[in-house]
Amino acid sequence: MDPPVERLILPASAGSISALSEFVRGGAVAAGIAENELAKLDLVLEEILINVARYAYTPGTGAVEVAYAQAGPCKLHVEIADYGRIFNPLTADPPDLSRGLADRPIGGLGVFLVKSMVDSIAYRREGDQNILSFKFPLEGAAGDD
Amino acid sequence: MNIEPTELEKAVLLKVTGRMDAENAHEFETACDRWITHGTKHLIADLDGLQYVSSMGLRSFLAVAQKLQSTSGSLILCGLHGLPLQVFEMTRLIGLFPVFETSQQALATL
Repeated sequence: MDPPVERLILPASAGSISALSEFVRGGAVAAGIAENELAKLDLVLEEILINVARYAYTPGTGAVEVAYAQAGPCKLHVEIADYGRIFNPLTADPPDLSRGLADRPIGGLGVFLVKSMVDSIAYRREGDQNILSFKFPLEGAAGDD
Repeated sequence: MNIEPTELEKAVLLKVTGRMDAENAHEFETACDRWITHGTKHLIADLDGLQYVSSMGLRSFLAVAQKLQSTSGSLILCGLHGLPLQVFEMTRLIGLFPVFETSQQALATL
């Protein structure tokens, strides 16, 4: 991640959703995010945070460290790290979106939405950290409304 | 998020406003469960004032719709727009619910 980098550490829990959003929104707004992309950025951050809380730390708790930096004129580079067990959410099977109401599985949509809304996303294990690194398009993805 | 219920002749209208996220999505499911236990067959969620929904919110909508389907009822959505509409479309959940622009249009089908 190229400097300048902003960082924040938060408890990995649903209670941190708004603080995480507020922090990264600060960078996104300064970098010129389109107004209608803010909710998508919130969603990406929430899904990653909740995944960390549910899978990396369960049954315990821990912290997430978020960092962001502007990446070129229209992208925000965000990294979200935790100290939980080795957990790569990107390896989950994609949800079967063709099922009918009765047999549509109730979970599995979070990572799918994240992948759909970011330009690129990668997982790496560094020491005792899981790090999810993604680039968020500030002006919306090609083909957006 | 705020949920304001109105009991109508053929359905219960739930006006949902604000943001539905991992912290509060269960409140929507709990509110719906209360009406389902009460014998309500059709719930109409007016989402005109819903600004945000994450996957935990989608789970709640899906869980409620599955419960109602098993009692030959339905969860009807109306007023979807913005990010909530986008995520319902991206996940192809939109095709699993009766969807209308307004609650009046939804009521006219019951």
